[in-house]
Amino acid sequence: MSGKPYRLSTGGSRIDRAKPIAISFDGKSVSAFAGDTVASAVLASGQKLFGRSFKYHRPRGIVGLGSEEMNALIGVGTGARHEPNLRATQIELHDGLVAVSQNRWPSLTFDVGAINNKISRFLPGGFYYKTLMWPRPFWKHVYEPFIRKAAGLGKAADERDPDPYEHIHKHVDVVVVGGGIAGLTAAEAAAASGSSVLLIDENPVLGGIADLTAGKIGEGCVADIVSAAEARLRALPNVMILTRTTAVGHYHHNFMMAAEQVADHDPALLAAGAPRHRLWKIRAGHIILATGALERPIAFANNDRPGIMLASAARGMVSRYGVAPGTNGVVFTNNDDAYLTAFALKNAGVNVRVVDSRARPDGDLVKRAIADGIEVSAGSVISAVEGTLGVTAVKIAAYRKGQGRVITERKVACDFVAMSGGWNPVLHLWCHNGGKIKFDETLGSYRPDTHMDAITAVGGANGTMSVADTLVEALAAGEAAAKSVNPKAKPSKLKLPKVEEPKRGALEPLWFAPATGGYNEGNKHFIDFQNDVTVADLELAQREGYESVEHTKRYTTFGMATDQGKTSNINGLGVLAEATGKTIPEVGITTFRPPYTPFSFGAIAGALTGKLFLPIRRTPIFKWHEDMGAVWEPVGQWRRAYTYPRGGEDKHASITREILSVRNKVGMLDASTLGKIEIKGPDAAEFLDRMYTNMFSTLKIGKCRYGLMMNELGFLTDDGVTVRLADDHFLMHTTSGGADRISAWLEEWLQTEWSHYKVFVTPVTEQWAQFAIAGPKARDVLAKLSPDFELSNEAFPHMSFKLGKLGGYPVRVYRISFSGELSYEVATPSNMGRGLWEAIIAAGEEFGLEPYGTEALHVLRAEKGYIVVGDETDGTTTPVDVGMDGMVSKKKADFIGKRSLEQSYLKGPNRKQLVGLLTEEPNDVLPDGAYAVREVKDKPPMQMIGQVTSSYMSPTLSRSIAMALIENGRARMGETISFPLEGGKVVKAKITDTVFYDKDGGRIHG
Amino acid sequence: MLLVTCPVCHASGDETDFHCGGQAHVARPATTDPVNITDEQQRDYLFIRHNPKGLHFERWRCDRGCGKWFHAARDTVTMDFKAFYLITELPPAELQQQAKGTWVEEFKRRAKAK
Amino acid sequence: MVEAVSESALAHRVSPDTTYVDVREITERGMIDLRGITTDRKFMAAVKATLGIDLPKSPRTSNTWGDIRVLWLSTDQWLITCARSRAQSLADELSSALASVHSLVVNVSDMRAIIRLEGTRVREVVMKGSSLDLTDGDYTSGTVRRMRFAEIATLLHIVEDNVIDIYMFRSYADYAWEFLLKAARKGSEVAAFGSS
Repeated sequence: MSGKPYRLSTGGSRIDRAKPIAISFDGKSVSAFAGDTVASAVLASGQKLFGRSFKYHRPRGIVGLGSEEMNALIGVGTGARHEPNLRATQIELHDGLVAVSQNRWPSLTFDVGAINNKISRFLPGGFYYKTLMWPRPFWKHVYEPFIRKAAGLGKAADERDPDPYEHIHKHVDVVVVGGGIAGLTAAEAAAASGSSVLLIDENPVLGGIADLTAGKIGEGCVADIVSAAEARLRALPNVMILTRTTAVGHYHHNFMMAAEQVADHDPALLAAGAPRHRLWKIRAGHIILATGALERPIAFANNDRPGIMLASAARGMVSRYGVAPGTNGVVFTNNDDAYLTAFALKNAGVNVRVVDSRARPDGDLVKRAIADGIEVSAGSVISAVEGTLGVTAVKIAAYRKGQGRVITERKVACDFVAMSGGWNPVLHLWCHNGGKIKFDETLGSYRPDTHMDAITAVGGANGTMSVADTLVEALAAGEAAAKSVNPKAKPSKLKLPKVEEPKRGALEPLWFAPATGGYNEGNKHFIDFQNDVTVADLELAQREGYESVEHTKRYTTFGMATDQGKTSNINGLGVLAEATGKTIPEVGITTFRPPYTPFSFGAIAGALTGKLFLPIRRTPIFKWHEDMGAVWEPVGQWRRAYTYPRGGEDKHASITREILSVRNKVGMLDASTLGKIEIKGPDAAEFLDRMYTNMFSTLKIGKCRYGLMMNELGFLTDDGVTVRLADDHFLMHTTSGGADRISAWLEEWLQTEWSHYKVFVTPVTEQWAQFAIAGPKARDVLAKLSPDFELSNEAFPHMSFKLGKLGGYPVRVYRISFSGELSYEVATPSNMGRGLWEAIIAAGEEFGLEPYGTEALHVLRAEKGYIVVGDETDGTTTPVDVGMDGMVSKKKADFIGKRSLEQSYLKGPNRKQLVGLLTEEPNDVLPDGAYAVREVKDKPPMQMIGQVTSSYMSPTLSRSIAMALIENGRARMGETISFPLEGGKVVKAKITDTVFYDKDGGRIHG
Repeated sequence: MLLVTCPVCHASGDETDFHCGGQAHVARPATTDPVNITDEQQRDYLFIRHNPKGLHFERWRCDRGCGKWFHAARDTVTMDFKAFYLITELPPAELQQQAKGTWVEEFKRRAKAK
Repeated sequence: MVEAVSESALAHRVSPDTTYVDVREITERGMIDLRGITTDRKFMAAVKATLGIDLPKSPRTSNTWGDIRVLWLSTDQWLITCARSRAQSLADELSSALASVHSLVVNVSDMRAIIRLEGTRVREVVMKGSSLDLTDGDYTSGTVRRMRFAEIATLLHIVEDNVIDIYMFRSYADYAWEFLLKAARKGSEVAAFGSS
C-alpha cells in the first residue's frame, strides 16, 4: 500500500469527526468517520487501489463520486449477507462493516490474472467471438469455465438470503426524480400548485451536486438553496421524500419502479424488523426527471491507473469527506468546470496544475486560476501516465484539435489526475420507455428531445448547466406538471433566488488524447472501464466491418457492463464518429435499458419468497392429510394427498394397498378440488348444449351426465359430470385444474357471443368439501351414517343425485364413479368438511375403509380406461382421437369446436388414436411419454408413431397397463409395437382396447 | 405496466388486474350459419389476426374487478388507449374510420345488421 | 344423531402480536351470492322486500341494514353478508321470493375466508400487496372492490377508516395470512407514509 493517510485536517461537509467508525476492507481495519463512504474511508487511509478490471485484471481505483462509479466495485457483508458488485462510492459506513475487493487472486496488489494485460494484444475486441468458437465442445467444457473464473466480478453468496424484502405501491400526481437544485425546485413548484409530489433521490442526503457548483446567492452559495428548499418541502403534507432510493426504470403509462435501500446503512433497523430493501411500484400523473448530469472521463493513454478520477469526484472527496486524492495533482480538462476542482484542491493545500486541451480557454474560472497562481497549460493534453498501482508522473504534450499523435512530451511528477471531458445529461430514465434524444453541439452530448409520456427533464438532465437557468426551468416544469395532472392547478407563486454565476468559456469536445506511440505499444485509452473496452477495440470493430453502433456494442461489449454506459457511452460514440468520419448523430445511439443501477434480486422478489413464493391451496381436509403423513402432489396450486404411507410402507406399497382397498372393500378420496359451477336461467340448457359436445337439454332433473368440452379448435379442454338440479338449474363439475378456467370460459361466451342468453354462472368450488367413497362396501358405509335418503339401486341408481343429511351433515350426494366401482361423491359445506370426513372414516372402519390418494385414483381410472384431460390429451387431441365419437352430437347444429372437427386437417388418415397397451413382459412398466416407433434401429432417428399417455403397474390385474396415442391405433388392435427406451432397451407391447378391468361395467351398478 | 380502465365499472388499474383477450370484432361464422362455412372461413376465424403498427382493437376482461368483458382501442406504438367501450358496442365513429384490414368490412357488416 | 362439527378456514391460526396492525379471522359472517338484472323491476323489488334494503347499483359500494350488508361485486352480482346462523334461511327466503324471476341465489358462506385488519396503518399494509391507491379519497368507508392481493384474487371491503376486511377463497386463506404476517411485521412500517 502506497502513501500516507490523505485525510485533511479540516473540512468534510458529510462527515462527523466526533463519531469515529471502524470498518474492515480486505481484512484490514480502516478507521473512518460517520458519513464516510467505503470509497472515502479507504482513500483517506492512503489506499488508491480498489480492485482489478474485468478482462485484463488491471489495477483500478475510484473514478466517480456516486452511482456512476464503474471501477471500485466491492463486495459488502459476510456469509449469507455478502453482496457483490456494489459501488464503493455509494456504500455508507456503519461500525463493523466488512468490505472486500473483487476479481483478484491471490491478492489485490499481486494478481495472477494480470497476465491478461501482458498478453492483451491477443485479447482484442471480439476476442470471444474469434477465438473460442472451435472446436465446439470446448466452449462448454474448457473455455467457458476458464473465462468464468478469470473474467468477472464478485461472487454471490452461496447461502439463502436471510433478510426480508417487500414491495409497495404508490400513486402520485407528480414524481420528481433527483433531489438536486432542479428537483427540489420542481417538486416545490408542483406541490405549491396543489399536486401530490413524490421526490426520489438515490443518495442519503438531498442536494445533488449543489455543493460542488459555482455561483453566489447574495453572501451565500448555491448549496444554501438546498437546505432552505428541503426544509419547506418536508413541512408540506402533500410531499413525500424518499432518499437512498433509486428510480431504476420507467415503463408504459408512467409506471416507475424505485428501489429503496431501507436498512443497509443501519443494521439496527433490520434487526428491528425493517425490510432490507423495498421496491416502490409507482404510478405517476407526470414525471419530472431532475437526474442531473455525469462528468465524462477523457480517453488518454493508461487513463485507468489508480489515482485518476473524475474532476467532480476529486472535488467531492475534498469538500464532502475532507479527503485529498493525493498530494500533488494534475487537473486535465476541456471545459471550465474542472477549474473548480483546482480551486478546491489548492484551498485544501494540495499542489495542483491544470492541463487544458483548449487552445485559448477564456472563461472567468480560467482567469481566476491564473490570477491565483495555478499553472495552466492550455492547448495541451496528458499523453502518458507512469506508474502501475498508482500514478507517479504524467507526460504533458502540446495538442491541436484533431491531432492523431503527439511529438514532444514533458514529464511532470504527480500522484493523481482529476479529469473532465464535459458533462452528459443522465438520459437513462428518459430513454427507458422510448423517449427521443438529440445531439447538442454545445454540450458535446445528447439531451432529451420528445417523449410520448407525460414526462419532463429539467436542469442538468436536460442539458441546462447554469444554476439560474435551471431554477427557472424547474419552476416552470413543476407548475406545468401540476397543470397537466389537474388543469385547474394554480401557479405556485414561488420566488426564485438570484444567482450570480461565473461566465463560462465554451467546451471543446476531446474524444481522444493522443500519445506518442500507437495503441498497441503499451498504451490503452479506456472508454468503457468496467468492460475493459479501449479506443483501439472500437476502431478495430469499425475496420472489421461492424458499422452499426449496435453491432459494435455487442462485438466489443462497450456500454454493456453493469453501469450501462453511464460514463462511456458518449465517449465511445465520439471515438466511432472520428474513426468513421461521421458526426456523432450519424453514428447513432445504443439503447438504454433498466435498471439505472443494478438492484437486488431480493427487492425484485419482495415478500414473495419461501412460504409465499407460490400460493398453496389447501382443501378443508388439508390438516388431516398432513397429520396422516400424506405424501403431497401439487395439482395446479392445490396440494392433494398423493398417497398415505403407513408404518414404514414405501409409496408403492401404500398405493397398492389403497387401490386394492377400493376394489375389494371401500376407500375414500378428498375430491374437494373438483371445479363446481352453478348455472341457472331459462336458457341454461341451451347454453350447456353450446358448451359441451354432447346434449344436456335432454338430461332429466336429479340425473347426472358426463360431458366433454372442446375449444373452438376442436381440441379437448375439460370434462366432468353435470347435474340437473331443476329445469333451469345445473351444477357443473370440472377437472381440478379447470375450475377457474372453465368458469371464465363460460362467462366469456355468455358475455361476448351469446349475451342475449338469460343465464347466470356462479363458481362455487370452494363452498363444498367433496369426497369420493368408492368400492363394493361404499353403500354400507353411507348406510351406517343414517342418511335421510334411500341408498338402494332402485331409489338411487348410478348417475343420479340426492340432497339430504348424512351423519348430521347437510350433503349433496352424486352417484358417480371414476374408479369403475360402486361410488358416491358426497359434498358438504367446506367448514363441515373435516367433521364429515372424520365421521365417514369412523363409520367405515368396520368395512375396511381406507383413505386413498391421487395416485390410486389414477391407477383405478386407468384400469377402467377412463381418460384424464391433460394426460390422454395434449391440447391437440379431439374427442374422435380418444374414441369418444359417440359423445360428439350429430343432432346439435352448433357447439363450441363442432365446425373445426370438420376441417380437413382433423379428418386426415393418420391421426393418433387412443389405445390400450399390454407389454409382452407383464412386469415392464412403460415410462410415461415413451415413444413407439415404426421400426427399431441401432440409433436415432427412428420414425415415431405415437406415445404413451398413462402407464401403471396395476395391482388389480397384477401386471402393467398403459394407454397411448398411436397413429391409426384403432385399426391396429392386436398388433405388437416397439418402444425403444433410453439405454437401448426395447419394450414390446400389444395394442388392445382401453378397458382393462370389468369390461362389461357391472361393478359400477353394484 | 399498462393502465387500463373498465368501461363497465369505471375502475382503473394495472394491466395485471385485467386479462387481454386478443383481437376484437372477429365474427364467429358458426353462430350465424353453422352449416355453410368453408374451411377457409373457419381457418380465418380461428387463426388469421391483424398485427398492425398503430390502431388495434382488442378485447379485455375486468378480471380482478367486475368480471365483465369490454373492448379497447390501443395504439401499438405509443401504447395509448384511444377508447374503452362495451363488449356489445362498435368503436367510436372516428376510430372506425381509422380502422384498417378486415375490421373495415366487419364494421360495415355490423352497422348494416343494426 | 351426531352434532355436525364446523371449522373455519383459519381455525388453526392464532392472531399474532408481531404485527403493527391487528390481524384476525372473521368467522361469524354468512355469505350469499346473488345474481340478477337491475333493470328487472320484479327482481329489485323482491330483493328489497326480502332484505329490507335496495341492492347497491353503483360500482364498488355497499348498503347496510341492521345485520345485513350487501356488497357490490358486479353490475349483476352482489355478496350479501349476514349472521352465519341466518345465511341458509335468508338464502332460502331469497330463492323463493325470486322463484319466478331470472336470478341465482347461492349460499356461499364457506367459500371464502375473511381476514380483518385493524389499525391506523391498514391501508399501507394492503398497498404492500395491492396496486390500488387506498390513500385516494375515493376509498371511503363502505367501499368494496375486488383486487389482486399478493398473488391471489381477493375482495376488499373498507369497513371503517381503519378497519379493512379482505375476503379470499378459503383455500388461499393460509397464504393470505402468511403474507399479512410478513407485510404487517412490526418494524416494517413505511416511514415515508408518515405516522398514520
